[in-house]
Amino acid sequence: MARKITYQQAINEALDQEMTRDPSVIVMGEDVAGGAGAPGEEDSWGGVLGVTKGLYAKHPGRVLDTPISESGYIGAAVGAACNGMRPVAELMFIDFMGVCFDQIFNQAAKFRYMFGGKAKTPVVIRAMYGAGFRAAAQHSQCLYNIFTHIPGLKVVLPSNPYDAKGLLIQSIRDNDPVIFLEHKALYTMEGDVPEESYIVPFGEAAVVQEGDDVTIVAFGRMVNYAKDAGASLRKKGVQCEIIDPRTTSPMDFDTILESVERTGRLVIVDESHPRCSMASDVSGFIAQEAFRALKAPIQMVTAPHVPVPFAASLEDLYIPSPARIEEAVMRVKEYR
Amino acid sequence: MTPVTNAWSRIAVLSVPPRPAIVGIIANPASGRDIRRLTSRASVFPNAEKASMMVRAIAGLEAAGVRDVMIMPDSGGICGPLFRALSVSTGSPVTVKPRFIDMPVTGSAEDTLLATELMCQAGAGAIIVLGGDGTHRAVAARCGQVPLLALSTGTNNAFPEMREATVAGLAAGLLASGAVPADVAVRRNKLLRVRCDDRTDIALVDLCVTRHNYVGSRAVWDSALLEELFVAFAGADAIGLSAIAGQLEPVTRSAPHGLHVRCADTTHTPQQVIVPIAPGLISAVGIRDYARLLPGQPVVLAPQSGTIALDGEREIEFDPSNRISVELDLHGPLTIDVAAVLENAARRRVLRHYAGCPA
Amino acid sequence: MSSSLTREGLLQAYRTMRTIREFEERLHVDFATGEIPGFVHLYAGEEASATGICMHLNRDDYIASTHRGHGHCIAKGVDPVGMMAEIWGKRTGTCKGKGGSMHIADLDVGMLGANGIVGGGGPLICGTALASKLRGSNNVGVCFFGDGASNQGTIFEAMNLAAVWKLPVIFVGENNGYAEATSSNFSVACENIADRASAFGMPGVITDGFDFFAVHEAAGEAIKRAREGGGPTLLEVKLSRYYGHFEGDQQTYRAPGEVQKLRETKDCLMQFARRVTSRGELSMAELEAIDVEVKTLIDASVVKAKADPLPLPEDLMADVYVSY
Repeated sequence: MARKITYQQAINEALDQEMTRDPSVIVMGEDVAGGAGAPGEEDSWGGVLGVTKGLYAKHPGRVLDTPISESGYIGAAVGAACNGMRPVAELMFIDFMGVCFDQIFNQAAKFRYMFGGKAKTPVVIRAMYGAGFRAAAQHSQCLYNIFTHIPGLKVVLPSNPYDAKGLLIQSIRDNDPVIFLEHKALYTMEGDVPEESYIVPFGEAAVVQEGDDVTIVAFGRMVNYAKDAGASLRKKGVQCEIIDPRTTSPMDFDTILESVERTGRLVIVDESHPRCSMASDVSGFIAQEAFRALKAPIQMVTAPHVPVPFAASLEDLYIPSPARIEEAVMRVKEYR
Repeated sequence: MTPVTNAWSRIAVLSVPPRPAIVGIIANPASGRDIRRLTSRASVFPNAEKASMMVRAIAGLEAAGVRDVMIMPDSGGICGPLFRALSVSTGSPVTVKPRFIDMPVTGSAEDTLLATELMCQAGAGAIIVLGGDGTHRAVAARCGQVPLLALSTGTNNAFPEMREATVAGLAAGLLASGAVPADVAVRRNKLLRVRCDDRTDIALVDLCVTRHNYVGSRAVWDSALLEELFVAFAGADAIGLSAIAGQLEPVTRSAPHGLHVRCADTTHTPQQVIVPIAPGLISAVGIRDYARLLPGQPVVLAPQSGTIALDGEREIEFDPSNRISVELDLHGPLTIDVAAVLENAARRRVLRHYAGCPA
Repeated sequence: MSSSLTREGLLQAYRTMRTIREFEERLHVDFATGEIPGFVHLYAGEEASATGICMHLNRDDYIASTHRGHGHCIAKGVDPVGMMAEIWGKRTGTCKGKGGSMHIADLDVGMLGANGIVGGGGPLICGTALASKLRGSNNVGVCFFGDGASNQGTIFEAMNLAAVWKLPVIFVGENNGYAEATSSNFSVACENIADRASAFGMPGVITDGFDFFAVHEAAGEAIKRAREGGGPTLLEVKLSRYYGHFEGDQQTYRAPGEVQKLRETKDCLMQFARRVTSRGELSMAELEAIDVEVKTLIDASVVKAKADPLPLPEDLMADVYVSY
């Protein structure tokens, strides 16, 4: 039975249900419980934003606080996955991949292929991403495109509570390493989420709004901005088809291709920098596969190619907005 | 004449040493990291700390007027950290640049033997040794009449002392330079001599016959494998194998005898002794009997097969075909009594001087 | 403890060390012909370390290895015939020809992989050990790493994590004196890897890597302690590699005659043979029989590797998620 819960609660519920179902699922990370070795309360934080709160008491011994030592514990999660566990390691901020990337892309991502198919590495690395919290350049990046570049990794970007729960359960059950990315601005978003366990399969895009005029492909939080823009455009008589790929690896190019062949116009909304991004990736794919269907040049709505600034006035300029999406849609719509 | 208070010079050195003195320093880069870290609770003694001890000893030597300090080369184990430590300017400035003995480095105990010989030939007035019982045993085998200043680098030793290296350097320097006469401050030690067929070796503290098959990782910690124990001296407050004898009948370093203990399985003898056989490891050792070991009276062993540990480290593998005997020798190495040197210096005001009035 | 070695144990130790030596010496010869692809890093000279340690392990214990991993593989029970085919890049190889010398792994025997990233294995072995501990088994993890890796942050992080979580991990620092062409005297600030143990509150032990019995005894104590819940140990094994960092390395950074002298005076196989025969535990004839048996095995593995099929074009896309 569905009821409204937040994105954050959906993630917590997915972890709780999978930990209950499968004793090999463990949660580890910096302050995923909080208070280890300290004189005060146990489970004092439950994750830096409280996402894992309560799991510590429900699953004794399976929610492990780690030292601030990202290479150490992310690597340990990978090693534990090779030895029969299904660890969900929290990297807190995706920006911290800089201090543990070797364990992710040289180790976890490579094992199955490099060892001739004999290894499976069912590890999930959760991290929050995205701008909007005045957290500046080292706590606000997207970076999902970097993981998407690496064969062997699966990359998941839920844009709403329903997908967050279903995709996380699928991530935990998947036998490959999965990078599960949570936009920090979405944690308080509410939505209908079934109480029972369910999965959202990888590589299946969601068509969140149907329309025949312009295709909008948006990633993560930008799906919601695209919906805002789409609602506004509908009032102006422009029918957008909004596609949420939900996972960037695997990527459901078929759904995008089918839509663009129908609309002939494409806008891609990506919160990360424009170069070597999901936006340029989709753009390149469509240019190659649907050149004849295109009626207008593809438009990319992205952040500029600069680090995320601190000052609120600058950060608001940095993040793609519904207004910019609307402008881009109108540009391709009116292109002759 | 009124003594000027607070008049110690900022850098206190004897400006005119009684005679040019040479002191050698031998530090074992491998000591303090054997298997006793695992089988007991012995501490890890980092080489960086040994190097720091050497610099502190050199500071003491320099203050006592020694300008020529020889050191044993190694393949970096301590020499690297030593020169790193010398480059750090904390404490008293150290201006003496230690010089390497010119010798090949093998990375084995052979280096210690050769370095000791070369230091003695070069006229060392004293040798400061940093290491455990094993290191001191190697130096003692070749040092002749040159006195040793024995410093322990670990918690597991009976022969050398745990003592601050600065003070040790000062004492060695005062002795080597003649500022303090040798006869008040140098002590004669005993040693144990073992003959196994043609091979001869020595131990400074204890010699133990064990049922270990191999030299292996060298240390001895399992009291169930002990057969016989010989000690040159045994403090009641000792750590290690000699503590067994120390609790049966303590033997001082100057007593003209040692002790010979025959061990037994604890289930086969009513006589047991509880001893700290290694740091953090206290064992019950079964005792068959024990007797004083007198000099010049070799004890011939009739063993099955096993190993002989010298000062706690397995060194010799033997089988029933080997002929083995053990003997106490009263003419072991000389060591410097640090307290005696500095008490003599105090009595004779060697380290006192007054502003404007060099010693 | 060494005294617990049976006759069978001694034979097994010699066979393992000889197999590693023969495997590596043969690769040294064959690599020079240019037929073997890529680059290989040989373990010859260090056999007593892998053997003395892995003899205490069972199938469900894991090891993480290094780019110099052939010896660890063989000692942990990876089939040398499959390894040879792997190194020749053949479909029949341990990893179907897709890993190569630096990435041989066989999780079925607890070999978590040679590793092309220096220091990469430390965090991983903490993970296998964590899994063992959480399951309540008494299995352990052994992380082999070199003096080069001893300066990597991953190794420090792994040692800290293992100490904090009290994991059954044995960190084996194989100090062969050279990280590529740079001496450990230069690169390891405290000279001994083992000295770093005290900073993590774990025992640090140095053992002679030329002496099988010394390694075997020290490793036995460390592994026993880990199995009993006593936590991690740092074991530094002082040894030397007989060949270059990689095959083709001219080793101009080494002293002339350095290796020859080690081979003549300290070689682990030579010392082992002398010890066991002089004590009458094994006969020369028994050892020579093993030499012949091992040589036959390695010769056959090369013949087979040369004849074996290359991977198929479709193998390129197999065993990995391919998104498009």
